[in-house]
Amino acid sequence: MASPDKPINTDVPEKNAFALHFLQTLSNLRTQNPFNSPNKTNDRVTKIKKAAYVSMARAAGGTNRLWSRALLRRAAKEDNKIVRLRKKRVTWQRRRRNQRAPEVERLRKLVPGGGGMETSKLMEETAHYIKCLCMQVKVMQCLVDGLSPK
Amino acid sequence: MENELFMNTELPPPPEMAVHFEPPSSSSPTLNWALMDPNLSRNSSPPQDCFPWEKSTEQQQQQSFFDSALSSLVSSPTPSNSNFSGGGGDGFMIRELIGKLGNIGNSSGEIYGAPMGNNNGQESRSASCYATPMSSPPPPMMSRTTPLTEFSGDPGFAERAARFSCFGSRSFNGRTNSGLPINNGNIVSSGKLTRVSSTPALKALVSPEFASAVSRPMIPAGESNPKLPGEFSRKRKSASKGKPKENPLSTASPSPTFSKTAERKQDWNGKGIKISEEKGGKRRREEEEEDKDEEEEGNKSNSTKPPEPPKDYIHVRARRGQATDSHSLAERVRREKIGERMKLLQDLVPGCNKVTGKALMLDEIINYVQSLQRQVEFLSMKLSSVNDTRLEFNMDTLVSKDVMIPSSSNRLHEEGIQCESSNHHQQLNNYNNNSQLHPNISSSNMMLQSSMNSLETSTLARSFTHLPTLTQFTDSISQYHMFSEEDLQSIVGMGVAHNPNHESQNMKIEL
Repeated sequence: MASPDKPINTDVPEKNAFALHFLQTLSNLRTQNPFNSPNKTNDRVTKIKKAAYVSMARAAGGTNRLWSRALLRRAAKEDNKIVRLRKKRVTWQRRRRNQRAPEVERLRKLVPGGGGMETSKLMEETAHYIKCLCMQVKVMQCLVDGLSPK
Repeated sequence: MENELFMNTELPPPPEMAVHFEPPSSSSPTLNWALMDPNLSRNSSPPQDCFPWEKSTEQQQQQSFFDSALSSLVSSPTPSNSNFSGGGGDGFMIRELIGKLGNIGNSSGEIYGAPMGNNNGQESRSASCYATPMSSPPPPMMSRTTPLTEFSGDPGFAERAARFSCFGSRSFNGRTNSGLPINNGNIVSSGKLTRVSSTPALKALVSPEFASAVSRPMIPAGESNPKLPGEFSRKRKSASKGKPKENPLSTASPSPTFSKTAERKQDWNGKGIKISEEKGGKRRREEEEEDKDEEEEGNKSNSTKPPEPPKDYIHVRARRGQATDSHSLAERVRREKIGERMKLLQDLVPGCNKVTGKALMLDEIINYVQSLQRQVEFLSMKLSSVNDTRLEFNMDTLVSKDVMIPSSSNRLHEEGIQCESSNHHQQLNNYNNNSQLHPNISSSNMMLQSSMNSLETSTLARSFTHLPTLTQFTDSISQYHMFSEEDLQSIVGMGVAHNPNHESQNMKIEL
């Protein structure tokens, strides 16, 4: 009886979409910095990680989700690009900040874009985020397994 | 506090109440019929003069009242009617109207029938939305058939009547009462007068003589209302139980013994969203149980829940003993929402079912998310070391072609060996150059890092053994292309069927 507004939607994103996008960005990465640049291993790791997250966000429906929006925005910011996402109104006053449970605050930090969310929204986003992460991990695991020599 | 409220609600002086209700009705009569119902039904008729044809004589006033009532019935802006006030009788229209109104009147009569008996003492109560139809003031119309003729001239009338017909009794009620000019200044009697439900009026329409005969006596009946408020709440509640749907307010108000004041504010502030009380999650129930003892003197019938509210409202229902001011209601709704989402998360996160308590559950969730994120990091590290040469080829083919033929395991293996060699070759370089950065990963692709030392040597050895094949590698690039294509496809296809054991192993090692 609480929320007849709309059902909580946590669809699992397309793993193929994610894989495709991820692989594309990986190949782009490869062309950008030649593979025999061993000094940049660490850099490359972060880049790959970022690519993974960005492609996950893309696969998860782009800007429909708050966390994916936050991810894309952050990524774009890192690239020094001008971010132009359609603005969504977040009608949520930041009240009771001090009273909130510390666990929720921790979760807020974990979920991208969680800082400005209402708690119930945060939960919803977290659910979706977890699903996407699972998918991402699976696909990446498969990639690693397949690419690495047997 | 609740006791206080109880007392207050039970015995308010009727006139005061009438005064109290006035402002909302006058301020926003059209906003929400359901909400307005009670106000309107007992409103003391704000003197809004939207009816230019009103005249000073009492009869005319009565007439105007009738007009206003009718016009409001018809759900059209009243002023429009005024234009046609002088119109001649259009028999067809009238008949149509009468037919419709008659139906509605009947239905409303049924609806109001139940509460009627209870209503008598209820005058003080805010919630008497189902006013007794009989107590309503047909007097205005008793004398005249003329108002009808006025309507008949209105071209949009039929339309409005049609619309009106679908209004249902509830909106109807609100309408009728919205514009009653007749009661001006007559606060005491207004309570009864305004209870005008359309029915009598309609009957009067059909047979004015009858109405005139009947309507007069009606008023005194209405006047007799304010008495015995105490017993009343319960009776009324039982009556209202049956048909809360027709009048959402009745559901909220009949159980009003507590929380009246706050609720009233909410109900009558004219907003579309009505937060009445809600009965809710476990916590609430617990609270209720705790409070039950204290409130036993109060009404016991409160536990009866009203059926589903209309969808437009956020319907909140408080159990006994719960705070009912808007803030705590909202807070309760919020908590409920959160709980709902938590359940959802609980299903997602493994091992979360066993944990009880929100904090622990959140901890579990946080841990899970963190582990997933770390896993991604780890995998990306692995990928960074793995995908040196192969990915380049893979990409183009993958993008260009969608459907691939599943590759035979032999070829894959072959390719794997070749690739392995190349990878290891490069790994060697990496390892030599910066062994301090990611020694474990760069050195061993598929090896588990737990057995680092032993594996390192083995990798090195293997890479050396495969070095000869590396020379072939450059020759067979075209072949490689094909292979890699298939390989990737299989990889992607593998997505779901991927081995969990492996993953968990990796995770363990990673952690």
